[in-house]
Amino acid sequence: MQITRINIGPIHPSTHGVLRLIVDLDGDTIEKVEPHIGFLHRGVEKLVENRMYMQNHVYMEKMDYVAPLAVDELYVATVEEAMGIEVKERAQYIRTIELELQRIASHLFFIGTLCNDIGNLFTVFIWCFADRDRVLRLLETATGSRMFYANMRLGGVKQDFPKGFEEDVLDCMDYIEKRTKEYERFLEKNPIFMERMKNVGILSSEDAIEYGISGPTLRASGIDYDTRKNHPYYAYEKASFSTQVLSRGDSFARYKIRVMEIRESINVIRLAFKKMPEGDAIGMPVKLVPPPIKKNEVIVRRELPRGENMMYMVADKKGPYRLAMRSAIFVSMAALDHIARGHKLADLFAIMGSLDFVMADVDK
Amino acid sequence: MRFDRYEDRANLADALEQMKAKGFSYLEKITAVDYKDHMEALYFLVDIEKNENELIKVRLENSSLWLPTVMELFKSADWYEREMAEMFGITIRGRKTERLLLEKWDGIDPPLRKSFVWGQEYRNREQKG
Repeated sequence: MQITRINIGPIHPSTHGVLRLIVDLDGDTIEKVEPHIGFLHRGVEKLVENRMYMQNHVYMEKMDYVAPLAVDELYVATVEEAMGIEVKERAQYIRTIELELQRIASHLFFIGTLCNDIGNLFTVFIWCFADRDRVLRLLETATGSRMFYANMRLGGVKQDFPKGFEEDVLDCMDYIEKRTKEYERFLEKNPIFMERMKNVGILSSEDAIEYGISGPTLRASGIDYDTRKNHPYYAYEKASFSTQVLSRGDSFARYKIRVMEIRESINVIRLAFKKMPEGDAIGMPVKLVPPPIKKNEVIVRRELPRGENMMYMVADKKGPYRLAMRSAIFVSMAALDHIARGHKLADLFAIMGSLDFVMADVDK
Repeated sequence: MRFDRYEDRANLADALEQMKAKGFSYLEKITAVDYKDHMEALYFLVDIEKNENELIKVRLENSSLWLPTVMELFKSADWYEREMAEMFGITIRGRKTERLLLEKWDGIDPPLRKSFVWGQEYRNREQKG
């Protein structure tokens, strides 16, 4: 047996950022994958220690640039927890709706890039990006910015929804719901797609726990754990939604679960609009002097599109003394070697696409 | 959730093993905090079935910054330990030394220590011309 060692990256269209992989091959079969990360390491955890609380929150969005609003919300929620600030009732609903819109946009991005990664399905990539843009346009209407929203404020949001926003969102949601069925019809009848996804990259439920995987990837392996249900926050406490669980744990399950989650997110948005109360939703303006700290140590968990992210903060007067961030995909990257072993080299990118990496969040 | 559960370094592996047997089989994160006069290592554990969380802290004196590896108990500890070793300069005993995970250059101060002043390296270089 002769082992061939090849290098992939750091610049490669399927690495979703800057990632280098050293792959040991026996013929065409993967013996070992060694990810070299850190090309996008900016030392965010150090940078935030040198800034004040609300200076940081714009910076947080650059962590996961496919779902910036969700990371921003996680950070602001951590600061709110430390300061003991209650989020206004209407703002809670606004945040929930925006988070779910962000989740839909992120999952659409996932489906598009996955189809691009496995080879010849560029049509779906274009479809998904066009549909994602509709969702981004909604977020732009609500926050004023297309990509980096900076819409969260302590105790609320920067601005309330504009007039007629509800109708726009509900129209768009009807459209996206129709489109997800179209994707399914298009992809799941496609023999190439199915061949490359089914029974590829199987992650058993025991291994998923052992490696600390979370989010849709964990649920695709048959474990019913969703932070929105297990540690409910905002409107998720009141909205009756169901978590999506599949048991196979292969690439196909990881794709399928995200399509199912888009539909569930649409339900949450519809429900949230029905229950949303009137009133004030505007949070505190960005002051240089924040309210005093009440708790010295806080932990906040949130279900981001890519999995459970957590922030642990040791609070200081002006800014965080230490902010530790758990990124869900950092752990998936560590498990890539285990998942990809024994597969063909060409399947490596199908597996990587199905794990939904964003390198900026892996590297921090 | 409690923030005051401390374990001795010598008991760490046993404590984690007991927790794992109790059902806390999901290791969420390992990280550390530099309090200048001492350091604390933190182990976040989750019991997925009962939906409980636990935080175990280990106090480390500045004179002996090392921890035993817990890789045999949790596979997810692998990269977290490497990250912690790199960022805080805490030696992990019981595993072979590997290349740096996140940074490129060896030999500079561990960046997340409080003694590492942000931007100082760059300013020094600028002064030297």
